[in-house]
Amino acid sequence: MGAVVAAATLAAIPLAVPAQAQQAKVLRVALTTGIDHLNPFTAVLAASTQIGRFTFEFLTVPDAAKAEASPALAESWTPSADKLTWTFKIRSGVKWSDGQPVTAKDAAYTFNRMLTDENARTANGNYVANFETVTAPDDTTLVIKTKTVQVNMNLLDVPIVPQHIWEPVKDLKAAETDDVKIAGVSDGPFQVTEYKPNEYVKFKANKDYWRGAPKVDELQLLQFKDTEAAVNALKQGEVDVINRLNPNQFAALQGQQGITTNAAPGRRYDELTLNFGVTDNANNPIGDGNPVLKDFNVRKAIAQAVDTKTIVDKVLKGLGQAGGGVVPAIYAAYHWDPSDAERIKFDLAAANTTLEQAGYKKGADGVRTTPAGAKLELRLTGHANRSYDQGVAQYVTGWLKDIGITVKQDLVSDDELSDRTSTGKYDLAIGGYGTNPDPDYVLSLHTCAARPSPEAKGGSTDTFFCDAAYDDLYKKQLTETDDAKRADYVKQAQARLYSQIPTIVLDYQNTLEAYRSDKFAGFTTQPQPKGAILEQTGYWGVYGATPAGTANAADSGSGNTVLWIVLGAVVVVVLVGGGVLLGRRGKSAEDRE
Amino acid sequence: MTTAETPRQIAWARRRASLARTWREFAAQRTALAGLVLLGATVLVALLLPLISDESGLNVTKATGQPLSPPTGEFWLGTDNFGRSVLLMTVWGTRISLLVGFSAALLSVVIGTLIGITAAHFGGWVSATLLRFTDFFLVLPSLILAIALSAVLPKGVGTIIVAIGLTAWPSTARLVRAQTLTIESRPYIERAHALGGGHLHVIGRHVLPGVMPLVLANTTLVVGNAVIADATLSFLGVGDPNSVTWGLVLESALNNGAISRGAWWNVLPPGIAIVLVVLFFTLVGRGLETVFNPRLKK
Amino acid sequence: MTAPEQAAVLADPGEHRGGTGTARFVLRKLLEAVISVLLVIVLFFFLFRMLPGDPVAAMTRDRVTSPQQIAELREKMGVDKPVLVQFGTYFWNLLHGDLGESRLLNNGRPVADMIGERLWPTILLVGSATLLAVVLGLWLGIRAAWRRDSLFDRTQTGIALTLWSVPQFWLGLMLLVVTGGLFPSRGMHSPDAAPDVLSQTLDVLHHLVLPCVTLLAVFYAQYMLIMRSSLLGEMNADYLTTARAKGLRDDLLRRRHAVPNALLPTTTLVFMQFGQVVAGAVTVEAVFSWPGLGQLTYDALHGPDLPVLQGVFTVLASAVVLMNLLAELLYRVLDPRVRTS
Repeated sequence: MGAVVAAATLAAIPLAVPAQAQQAKVLRVALTTGIDHLNPFTAVLAASTQIGRFTFEFLTVPDAAKAEASPALAESWTPSADKLTWTFKIRSGVKWSDGQPVTAKDAAYTFNRMLTDENARTANGNYVANFETVTAPDDTTLVIKTKTVQVNMNLLDVPIVPQHIWEPVKDLKAAETDDVKIAGVSDGPFQVTEYKPNEYVKFKANKDYWRGAPKVDELQLLQFKDTEAAVNALKQGEVDVINRLNPNQFAALQGQQGITTNAAPGRRYDELTLNFGVTDNANNPIGDGNPVLKDFNVRKAIAQAVDTKTIVDKVLKGLGQAGGGVVPAIYAAYHWDPSDAERIKFDLAAANTTLEQAGYKKGADGVRTTPAGAKLELRLTGHANRSYDQGVAQYVTGWLKDIGITVKQDLVSDDELSDRTSTGKYDLAIGGYGTNPDPDYVLSLHTCAARPSPEAKGGSTDTFFCDAAYDDLYKKQLTETDDAKRADYVKQAQARLYSQIPTIVLDYQNTLEAYRSDKFAGFTTQPQPKGAILEQTGYWGVYGATPAGTANAADSGSGNTVLWIVLGAVVVVVLVGGGVLLGRRGKSAEDRE
Repeated sequence: MTTAETPRQIAWARRRASLARTWREFAAQRTALAGLVLLGATVLVALLLPLISDESGLNVTKATGQPLSPPTGEFWLGTDNFGRSVLLMTVWGTRISLLVGFSAALLSVVIGTLIGITAAHFGGWVSATLLRFTDFFLVLPSLILAIALSAVLPKGVGTIIVAIGLTAWPSTARLVRAQTLTIESRPYIERAHALGGGHLHVIGRHVLPGVMPLVLANTTLVVGNAVIADATLSFLGVGDPNSVTWGLVLESALNNGAISRGAWWNVLPPGIAIVLVVLFFTLVGRGLETVFNPRLKK
Repeated sequence: MTAPEQAAVLADPGEHRGGTGTARFVLRKLLEAVISVLLVIVLFFFLFRMLPGDPVAAMTRDRVTSPQQIAELREKMGVDKPVLVQFGTYFWNLLHGDLGESRLLNNGRPVADMIGERLWPTILLVGSATLLAVVLGLWLGIRAAWRRDSLFDRTQTGIALTLWSVPQFWLGLMLLVVTGGLFPSRGMHSPDAAPDVLSQTLDVLHHLVLPCVTLLAVFYAQYMLIMRSSLLGEMNADYLTTARAKGLRDDLLRRRHAVPNALLPTTTLVFMQFGQVVAGAVTVEAVFSWPGLGQLTYDALHGPDLPVLQGVFTVLASAVVLMNLLAELLYRVLDPRVRTS
């Protein structure tokens, strides 16, 4: 009761806080991941990289329509005939927020600093690893020479920083490099004005931005411990845009007054990888996978027992597409779906038959044993903190139980998961990859060469697949110049992967976001027309945020909130009442004389 | 008919009488008695559960309900994210939650009793060292130690039990030490020593029986704490994902957006179950302490 | 957590009675505290070395690193050296305020810096909650004991027992839901608060309400039960009966004799329970996104970012040891029985 009194006293405080007049148009974005640095050289975490994108201009940026390279600081760029020398023509008239002009010298300085200072390579070092020299012959020309041909030269994801600010900074690891005085001098659509670590970052719009001033005056990134808290804040009107929603949260926000949801087809595939006796690139077996998965029949039975449609319907609540090949459905030209003849259909009875015929007999407890007598028990790992993985794990466990395989769930931290999957220490693992418009990267993941070296280095695979037929198809698509023929090879490669069952592609999830449509009329998505607001490589979402005309955001106290309050009150009454009752019902002996 | 009773019979009769007295004192405290009855009922339900309820309802692929459906005639407490009955999960959660609670408490009480008796009985530098050791752990926040342990050990029920059990013993040790000192100062212990009773004899025949009642009361209280600790570890994401516990039901509700959806029926039942069971344990424990602890007697 | 009645036994004032001089006493306590802090450091160092896996591999994952860089890192971190040498290095660095570097949460940032910026929010939360819980708990405890068996006593004892059985994070979530937007749900500052000192202070207080209430709800209950039972014990003491027989008024008795005596074991317990409050702050901060050490622990657990966890736990545990030392010294100063003996 005393606690209630104290709360009531303090509850009076909000009335005393002067409600600031909301004249300025502010865009509040919820952040559910951490920020490590504002310093663009050392900012590694996704949210920090995004801050760099909001505040600094790049040579080129992926455009909003198709995420292809488009002019930014560089008006144009041309490779030499041998593709080893690239010349960028730098836009003139762009200014840093302190009034100094942005020139090719700043760009050259940024890259040269990265070439000479190890700390400057922390975030984006991979882009310059292959650079020979970077020079700025004049204020509008930047010339980069590379040692060998580098494919990503038209999209160097490196923020260009002002030379006059960063040159005096000797130690890029020093704490003051995260200071607004240093990291706040920028030329992007927004400028950092205040940074309270672990709480928020405030930006003001760059009125002199070369593409034109943003339509909002201020941008705030507010940190939340998880999306659940962020959803709550969106409902209360404390934030305007949130992302990384799970299907339930998305469904909860659908149809709410003043809130619009945005589901964009995902660039990611989710999979269940099966440890079929994985090897390193010298073909030595690694890890501790259950040898029973080497048997194709067991893998086939598992594939027959996993219903991708149910996973889409129940775990994703329909917000995604059932899986087929490793190229997601949004890349229609390269996406492959098994034909009816090729498809391994969900059929628990057939899965049981497959195992029965392969000699795995069911014991009295319903668990099958190998001919040698070992019980079929598989470990299933995945991300502990992802509700998707938790859901899939539940379903897979349930289905496999029906075909006589015991599953032991062992969901772990992201770090430990990648430790286990990269060393083959798993039986079944829930994983997935984000993909690019070009299928080369996602296909390369499953080639023999993608396996790690015997020193456990350099691996990029998670399936550890190594198959001559697949590698052959992969090489063919790499050198094929005819688009249609290449697409055909890409599809054949996916079909080959599917038929060998090193992995089961479960689905392609949608990217789920929501925003206050009573405050904002719209955002520029990437790609277009149906793309994401925040999950982009670029500033288009926040830069293109258009405030709703006159709409005065009314707090949409929904029926749900009221229900919660009533229920909460009931709980409090029950707890307190129970306490009172307890007190009344009897006296404990210690109270008696 | 024999007239003379053997010493054994006398001892038994005395024991029976003392037990009856204890029971009367305990039963006189009505809240403690109520706690005991309700606790007994809970444990009974947990034990008999496989006979009266079908576990397959916990399997998501067998779930029959719509996801996050509010309470209906079929599902009295609604369903969870996968269409499973929350009532069923809460009731089944009792089993592992109680198992964790009891096992962790047992582990911690065994450690605490061993250390407490040793520290009091042997004296000298052994005692001093053990006492310092106990005080050291008594001061450290046990939850933080438990978090650290469950973060570095592989996930599972065993880890949770060990993490809680290994960190909750110091208060038991202190309590047992104090009680042992009291008992050993009594004249009959000196007599036992004089009659040539070894350490084992004195501890086994005199100290342990004297300490046991207080240890029992203490265990009851520790179980309640262990149930809360288990739920807290699950909430922090270091719990065991393979078994249905109240903490896990809560964590999965929070992870799956149950609060955003206003699915109070996912969050209230496991929480209230924890509060009630812990309260039962606390009431029984307090009742026992009142009976057994001389300091609390008037 | 410890049950209140047990706790009363633990804070046995008899154990503090001894004939040693004050200087020796202080020295001994100081030495004990130093040993305790050393033990804390050793404990967490070896606990976090139990984890399988190569720390260097974990650090360089998802980054382009040459074998040479990896070798340098191994050298710098000393992972190939014997454990005792590693501990020596760790300890030496620790003496210089270096707790190592974060691996996942905040790539390469010194853990000491991360802890430093989180320290004040936690001190504010734990401090205010402890203070309020003590005031509230003692006040209710005294009133309940003085009017034992009254409706007030029974109601308050019942509520305290119930609150004491509630998991703290759940209570926080419920409060968050029940208050439905009356208080901010996250953090400690609102970006829109005016920059003047008064507005900033009020803003922080506004954010503090829910986490503070959640934290104090459980602990006030404990303090109340302890105060109540120790006061009941005092009131049965012979000297009070004598005093009463002499005709001293009841409220005078309460204020002059019983309360001060009962206050001593309770105060010691408040300090002894300080560690549990700190642990409680971990979950409460996680629920309310309070930017303190608890939130840092929560985030670090999901990596897990072991150097951060190790650093935070070492700092928290050492703080608790020091608070306890303070309590024991205070006790010495305050307790007349100890002083005269």
